[in-house]
Amino acid sequence: MATNDTGRAQLADSNQTSRPEGAFVLLLLQSIFWVVAGLSALPFGLGGELHMAALGLVTLMLALVTCLVGIGVLWRRQWARRVALTLEVICIIGSALQLLLPIGANRGPVALLVDVALPVAVVWLLWGKKTRSFFN
Amino acid sequence: MYNVNPEHAIGLIGGFVALILASVTLRLHPRWRAVPGTVRAAAVLMVVTAGVHLALIPHHLAHEPLTSLLFLLNGLAFIALAVSFTWRHWRLASAGLLIATVIGYLLYVGVGLEGSDQVGIATKLVEVTALGLALVPVRGEARRTHRSWRWAGLGVAMPLLIVMTGATVWIVDLARPDARHVHAGALLQSTNTVPTPAQVDAASRLYHETKTAIQPYEDWHQAWAAGYRPGGSTTLPSTHWMNQRYVDSGYVMDPHRPQGLVYANTHHGPVLLGAMFQMKGINQFGPDPGGPLTAWHQHENICITPFGFEFSLMTPFGNCALGAIDISVSPMLHVWIVDNPQGGPFAVDIAPSVVAALDRT
Repeated sequence: MATNDTGRAQLADSNQTSRPEGAFVLLLLQSIFWVVAGLSALPFGLGGELHMAALGLVTLMLALVTCLVGIGVLWRRQWARRVALTLEVICIIGSALQLLLPIGANRGPVALLVDVALPVAVVWLLWGKKTRSFFN
Repeated sequence: MYNVNPEHAIGLIGGFVALILASVTLRLHPRWRAVPGTVRAAAVLMVVTAGVHLALIPHHLAHEPLTSLLFLLNGLAFIALAVSFTWRHWRLASAGLLIATVIGYLLYVGVGLEGSDQVGIATKLVEVTALGLALVPVRGEARRTHRSWRWAGLGVAMPLLIVMTGATVWIVDLARPDARHVHAGALLQSTNTVPTPAQVDAASRLYHETKTAIQPYEDWHQAWAAGYRPGGSTTLPSTHWMNQRYVDSGYVMDPHRPQGLVYANTHHGPVLLGAMFQMKGINQFGPDPGGPLTAWHQHENICITPFGFEFSLMTPFGNCALGAIDISVSPMLHVWIVDNPQGGPFAVDIAPSVVAALDRT
């Protein structure tokens, strides 16, 4: 196996970080999950559930916003970091309520990964003064 | 797809153990600090998926030796790649293996060799995340190699794999539900298969008693006076009218106090279709005098919105549309007093054709 030196993947500048790129990947994933959720609600509109169809459209808009925020994070934009952190904190609170209240919500590993682990990971990646200093 | 197959639960343990081991041992690699965090995270996630696959080998070994062999090769390949993150072709090899693994799983599920469950879907999510982390170009990399194909791979492969996984799992689940899932989201009470003569008699008695008891509610004004209120939009083909007092009181299968009534919303007003008994607590199935004829059902993993009390189904990834909440509804039993040719008087659903015919009359 031919290995290269530290050069290929090494960060040329030790002041750089790959946290925004990691957060971008997770935000892109979250955006795709919301696309699926939005699309899955739309057919119920055909059955007369107009509110559900409207929520599906709103969810698709949120997916678009999340994707754009992810791109903003990738470009080290401070506004994008703030929006992402706000969005993920809201997601965590909502997921916690849904999981803790006795309403029979699914508590399987997939729901925990998508609704809890993913937002927590994004917050962890973008939190802190040092990370903030990479954004402008 | 919303449950963990008990035989696959060991995979979760394998993945968790692998996560701990990878987090500790990969740090010992001399070049660990020399690569971006995205690469390190991808390496750890590949060890996690290796742990899941290796842990599942013993369960599959007896009946599916080929699958076991594939799991072994897959697990070893992931471990090999995880420790060789400085290899020149690491990204290409990792992307290839991750994509092949996801597609292989979807083929297995698609042709029925494997049932989709939470362990499988969670593992695919870990693999797609690893794929994204392996491919994403990082600012400040010393050599900017293949960035365009990496962006293309990230932008195409990740969404495509997620959508393919969701669609495959969902379609297979709807097309081939297990015996207790009669339609999407409804779990049937476990009963004997063929009703005994005593159960047939008991079901018949329940039907006639209920039909007689709710006859006055054919006039919806009487139902309103008794405390029943529409529990959702009346623009839909049918609506459940619920009596909150009876719900709170917890009457169990009382023909004179059904928790709900179902009305067809016809152009000449609400037409009574039947009654609905409902238990108070989730997973508390009611008495089952008719055996398989009167099996209760519980709606699981449905997304409900308080806006108009409408519902949809939770995605395989545990999401609902924004503003909808994932819930399960306590067990219920319908008694249809109109002819329901597709499922009989205790079916989970009333046939849409019946409701349409009532609207036309």
